[in-house]
Amino acid sequence: MSVSDAAVYALLALGVGAELIACLGIAFMRDTFDRLHFLGPSALGAVLIAAAIWVQQGPSLISLKATLLAAFLLVSTPTLAHATARAARINELGDWRRQPEERIEVEER
Amino acid sequence: MSEWQIAAAALIAALVPCGWLCLRRSFADGLVALQLAGTLACLALLLLSKAESRQPFADLALVLAALSFAGTLLFVRFLEENR
Repeated sequence: MSVSDAAVYALLALGVGAELIACLGIAFMRDTFDRLHFLGPSALGAVLIAAAIWVQQGPSLISLKATLLAAFLLVSTPTLAHATARAARINELGDWRRQPEERIEVEER
Repeated sequence: MSEWQIAAAALIAALVPCGWLCLRRSFADGLVALQLAGTLACLALLLLSKAESRQPFADLALVLAALSFAGTLLFVRFLEENR
């Protein structure tokens, strides 16, 4: 097994591992906001899988498409996570801002 | 089975807990699971196109990523208004 083969296996395993961790986190966390944190590893996994394709294939059309997909997921996943958190707070409390009944203390400056 | 097919199979298996969350938990939890399911499906399609050496099939993954982004934004809007 060559060095590039080992790199492909390692990157692929790390990428799929990140996706599985995201899946387990979303399945077993307590509430929506805890679950949202686990969308981060899923975008990272996309980057690792695209890197694995690059290492195996070199510059080619599928490598370019994998890079495009990873870049799109890297931008869209945090955007959607933010929008979902905002919408969940509006759904729960009526407003996304801090509410008095939440008793969140903020240090005054 | 090649390593790409095994990776794609693992990602497709990871869709099952997402489906369970969509069916059994609240709307907001289901929305988070839907986002992850979109990412998993995109990557599984990409890996399958790599495994079968059919690079035009990778376009499906790109189109799915764009459509799942738009679709999830629509559901986010519903969640916001569903008080």
